Amino acid sequence: MTTVGVDAPGAEKAWDNEGRYVPPPASIKPRKKGFVPPWRNPWRRPYVLATITWGYILWSLVPVLIAVQFSFNDSRSRSSWNGFTTAWYCCGTEEGSIAEGTSVFGAGANDTLLNALQNSLTLGVITTLIAVPIGTALALGLTRWRSRTSNAANAVSLFPLVTPELVLGSALYLVITTLYTQIGLGRNALILGHVTFSISFILVIVRGRLVSIGNEFETAAQDLGATRMQAIRTVLLPMLVPAIFASAMITFAASLDDFVVSNFLFGDASQITVPVLLYSAVKAAPSPALNALATLLLVGTMTALLLTYVVLRLRRRGESGSALDDLAGVEM
Amino acid sequence: MPFDPSSTDRAPQWRPQLRRRDVLRGGAFAAAGLGVAPLLAACGGDDDGGTPAGGDGAYPLARPDAPVTLPIFDDNQPIAAGQEPEKVDALRVLNYADYMAPGVKKDFQKKYGAEVQVTPYNNYDEMLTKISAPGAEFDVVFPGPSVMSRMVYGKLLQPFQQSYLTNLTNAWPEYQDPWYDQGSQYSVPYTVYTTGVGYRSDIVTDPSEGYQMLWNPDYAGKMGILDDAGEALGMAMLAWDITRDINTGDPEAINAAKEELNKLIPLGVKVDITQYETLANGKFHVHQAWSGDLVAARWYLAQGVTTEDLGYWIPEDKADVVIGNDNICIPKSSPSPVLAHAFINDLLDNTIAEKNFNWNGYQPPLTKLDADYLIEGGYISENLMSAVVVPEDFESGIKFYEQTPAVENMYLAAFQDFQSGGS
Amino acid sequence: MAVAEATKGGQKDAATRFLWPALAIPGTAWLLALFVLPFYGIMAVAFSSQLDILGQPIPAWNPLEWDFAVMRGVIDQSINGSYRSAWEHTFIYAAIAMALCVLIGYPVAYYVARLARGNRGLLLALILAPWWINYLTRMLSWVGILGDEGYANDIIGFFGFAKVDWLGGQWYVVVIALVYGYLPFFIVPLYAYLDRIDQHLIEASRDLGANTFRTFFRVTLPQSRIGLITAMVITALPMFGDYYTNTLVSNSPTTVMIGNSIEGTIQSGFSRGQGASLVLLLSAVLLFFMAYYLILTLRASREAR
Repeated sequence: MTTVGVDAPGAEKAWDNEGRYVPPPASIKPRKKGFVPPWRNPWRRPYVLATITWGYILWSLVPVLIAVQFSFNDSRSRSSWNGFTTAWYCCGTEEGSIAEGTSVFGAGANDTLLNALQNSLTLGVITTLIAVPIGTALALGLTRWRSRTSNAANAVSLFPLVTPELVLGSALYLVITTLYTQIGLGRNALILGHVTFSISFILVIVRGRLVSIGNEFETAAQDLGATRMQAIRTVLLPMLVPAIFASAMITFAASLDDFVVSNFLFGDASQITVPVLLYSAVKAAPSPALNALATLLLVGTMTALLLTYVVLRLRRRGESGSALDDLAGVEM
Repeated sequence: MPFDPSSTDRAPQWRPQLRRRDVLRGGAFAAAGLGVAPLLAACGGDDDGGTPAGGDGAYPLARPDAPVTLPIFDDNQPIAAGQEPEKVDALRVLNYADYMAPGVKKDFQKKYGAEVQVTPYNNYDEMLTKISAPGAEFDVVFPGPSVMSRMVYGKLLQPFQQSYLTNLTNAWPEYQDPWYDQGSQYSVPYTVYTTGVGYRSDIVTDPSEGYQMLWNPDYAGKMGILDDAGEALGMAMLAWDITRDINTGDPEAINAAKEELNKLIPLGVKVDITQYETLANGKFHVHQAWSGDLVAARWYLAQGVTTEDLGYWIPEDKADVVIGNDNICIPKSSPSPVLAHAFINDLLDNTIAEKNFNWNGYQPPLTKLDADYLIEGGYISENLMSAVVVPEDFESGIKFYEQTPAVENMYLAAFQDFQSGGS
Repeated sequence: MAVAEATKGGQKDAATRFLWPALAIPGTAWLLALFVLPFYGIMAVAFSSQLDILGQPIPAWNPLEWDFAVMRGVIDQSINGSYRSAWEHTFIYAAIAMALCVLIGYPVAYYVARLARGNRGLLLALILAPWWINYLTRMLSWVGILGDEGYANDIIGFFGFAKVDWLGGQWYVVVIALVYGYLPFFIVPLYAYLDRIDQHLIEASRDLGANTFRTFFRVTLPQSRIGLITAMVITALPMFGDYYTNTLVSNSPTTVMIGNSIEGTIQSGFSRGQGASLVLLLSAVLLFFMAYYLILTLRASREAR
């Protein structure tokens, strides 16, 4: 039978005049099921991109794993592997132990390393305790305040985020050594510096959350009889808790990892933090004890990250979207 | 303010009142492309010749033939005698890195209960910045003679309470009354050293090239110079016979020295003070070094390398050798001065000093620990005899003197130019 | 009462009218004292005219006493003198590093945002991880690997080639180290933006006959333009002020960046004025980039409306 409009040989209608299905003649063989050459298949698996991505991830993370590996190296070298030992962590007391006098913990320890670790952790905690309330209050105030001065304050608050730390560090160094001499370099200066750059992080995170929450819940609460203060306290703040918590963890991690501002403000060896110690020691006399210290710091920040993920995930239980997305969005 | 007239007869003076027009007359500064720093330094006073900023007036620059007695100011008197050392957690020391034996620090901690915390610096410029920054308090600092006057007149150091320093008599007589600090009021000596070229004798073929070993392309990528403007530029001056006066204020000489250093940049020169380790582990084959570095290198030897493979070159004629010393002083703002005195007194003790020398390799100028004693003690191997310093060397050697800030800024600016990539 | 007050559309009751400003004041005061004032301090040091006994500049807090000699000198040296190579290196390294970041980072961000199916959570975690690892630790690992006895030279030696002195002042090592260090900061914001591109637009483009490349260049790329530029700005700004990367993997006068010059001069005594001037110059350069970025985003958000 011929059909209107179809030219291809063998392309006959699939139904006959009574509407019954007519299978195609056996001479027409179907192509191998589902095979389309990759370059013509728009829905193919993205091999190239996947390779690039996994390649990047390996390139990004394997060196760090190697550094962790060398923290267990049984020789003073940081580049040639000689065997496994935990001497660099603890305790370096035996005579002849390669880590004698230079391990992180233990009786045979190098006090500088442990001191640096303690300084870093203390500084991180104090910074978080000070920065989070100030930053959250600033976020609340700026987002809800509707006047021209608030726009100016807005702009000022975002600048620390985009200023390179070198500029911030030099500026603080100069002003603390000339104007704020009562404060002087050292722990107090470090706290001031760390809080200053943390406030911007917290501002961005909490404000992002505030904007996405919007006014409705508070207005609803007020419609139901709450005063403004009650509405804020019982409705808004609880909704902000994940953002506040995430910003606290990020502040802690940023403070632990901060190098430039700490390098300018630490003053003397008693206030040295881990990143500054790593930097100066790499230039002088690096040993695997540095790798051990770096690994411990890594464990610290990873714990903070894990904690954030778990808490976000618990709060998100039952809701769509992954906590990781939250975190990534929060990073913005 | 008190000012000892006997010290001003022949010692050069620095009056911080150079006016702009004085410097503009010396247009050579700018022409030599040394940067604006010397101009600025010279503009320290205003054109009316009024009170110079920050300076207390003229201060004498000490010279060996014009010794200086540093003044003791009314508001900077020595502490009272007969007190007990303070009970604190830490004794804060400002010093070069790896310059004090860990054993000595641990012993001190056991004896007095205070941990010895060392904040390191690379050169005197950094040291001055750290010690003058508000808030960072140090108990002991290790400057050299070339910054003494400035630190004393800048009220950065406090005079000693001599009754605490009973061991000062152990030191060489020359150092109990040195030319830069007559009467040892503010300083006691810590180490003496010469500056030369350290090299790996198993790799370097012709050590008699001397300073010019560093310019030999055979060692490209494996050589370094000291991170100190005076030392580096001075060595360049001596290496290429630019001038024998490494304290010169002649901008042309400094510029010529800088040009010579610039020739090292294509050879991959590194600038640091870790040669005690890097010569021993083979990272560098030649490096400008202080004598003590080679003695200390034996602690850092790589596998298969022995002290026989190390060498230290200095000029044959003792009169051409660059020689110097480091001092120990107490900063004015020290929170535990009595403890600091006790620490310094300990460092002057023969046994403790020997223990310290065993580790850091730098000779302490103590009478008992003379060259023979140290050689017999096995501290110095045959091939490193050139690293030994004797008191007679100080009569003749070339020393670094304290300079006016203007001259010093020329050196610092030139070195900074070199470090920024050479121009 | 409370209900009546609350329904007065938009009006605040007296007790809380000052609530929001009051909350904002501690933070603003802190930033004024510790961010804005220090910038003024930089200008005071850069434009000072007097030195103290140690040769350090005494800040000139009164603008009438400002003296621009040092600043002019630094600008001279930057155009034609000792700081010129530092500026050149910084711009060139940052440009090359940014190009590499885009070439590597965009595909990765695109894949993770749009194409990774089941693995997405894992991939996201792995991408985020470097953000939380100390920058110095990551560089430290490379110093270990690129050392004379490190794995890099081991592998090269295995294939029979001569050892390379990676850490001896090679500019390409510095550039690659910069890319390594800053790529995570590039990928994450880009990921967040690429996530938001509407899949339907891409499908529509495909349906209309465009192949992969045309779809990408005509649809995806323009949509992600703002995200790309945001990511570039977030990465480039810190890169300009970077000095520790150069010191860790090279530490040679041949690869000096402007950050090294600033660090060296600020922390020494005599050249502190020069350092402050360099900081001002750097801030000017970065403000220029920031302004460009702000104009672009404003224009884009206006178009989007």
